[in-house]
Amino acid sequence: MTNLEMYKQAFCEAFEITEDKLAGLKYQEIPSWDSVGHMNLVANIEEAFDIMMDTEDIIDLNSFEKGQEILSSNYDIKF
Amino acid sequence: MNKLLENKNIIVTGTARGMGKQMVELFAQNGANVFAHARTENDEHKLYCQEISSLYGVRIFPIYFDLKDFSAVKDAVKMIRGVKLPIDGLVNNAGITYNALFQMTDIEELRNQFEVNFFAPYLFTQYISKLMIRNRKGSIVNISSSAALDGNSGKSAYGASKAALLTMTLCISEELAAAGIRANVICPGVIETDMIATMPEYVTDIQREATFLGKLGTTVDIANTAVFLLSDYSSYITGQVFRVDGGVTEYKKRQ
Repeated sequence: MTNLEMYKQAFCEAFEITEDKLAGLKYQEIPSWDSVGHMNLVANIEEAFDIMMDTEDIIDLNSFEKGQEILSSNYDIKF
Repeated sequence: MNKLLENKNIIVTGTARGMGKQMVELFAQNGANVFAHARTENDEHKLYCQEISSLYGVRIFPIYFDLKDFSAVKDAVKMIRGVKLPIDGLVNNAGITYNALFQMTDIEELRNQFEVNFFAPYLFTQYISKLMIRNRKGSIVNISSSAALDGNSGKSAYGASKAALLTMTLCISEELAAAGIRANVICPGVIETDMIATMPEYVTDIQREATFLGKLGTTVDIANTAVFLLSDYSSYITGQVFRVDGGVTEYKKRQ
């Protein structure tokens, strides 16, 4: 599985949505991406990529695209 | 004997002595594997962990790091995660005490109290709760103090830091409930530990007489309460504060 596939899977599982909803998706834009969903998303991403995200990155992760940017620049995960 | 923590994996901080050390044994006796934290790596603690492991047939993982060193805390969490066991429980037991009247409290010592008794367990719980979220279950037990509730003279720094831990626990009990994680607080009264043994006898006599039960608490009293709160027997209990103090509060109210 590629990094992008794992990243997408983390979102889909955390929010119980399909891949076609991911592009442009923002925090609190859908009911399942609330504060609880955000915790689940972070847990999924950390497990998928075997990382521990810093608190400021968890706060900054406010969209599907922003998450990729954070993982690329701060955790050396390439998409 | 019914093992209340059979096959659970529990992290305890501050296990070199006192309540934490007792918890390691009682948790193991109840069937749990334990990550036993101490600040400094030492043979005595390692040997203790080995003995407990052999005696009860569970896994005891000694882990050493300074809770004030946030990067060491992070490394420790990585190590715990690397063991690949689901984390069922966390007991934030490590703490330091400080006695000084308000006007004589050193501001640096006040910071130190908050650093060890509040910031460190706050950060550690942030990390460990994320491991629990993945499993959709967990129990967090924070060891506060009766000083957090009673406002004793000489305890403004220590009591305030423990009150901060108490309030944090109540807040996260609501936030983490959706992830199946419970969080509760134990507020021990005066417990017979090495530290108490250094007090003058007349002081401990006063404290003993100030309890309903007419005795000081033991480390087993606290560890037993922690076992219950970590076990499935308390599965409908969260966001609660448990005074384990022999009834000293009610005694005070009658004075």
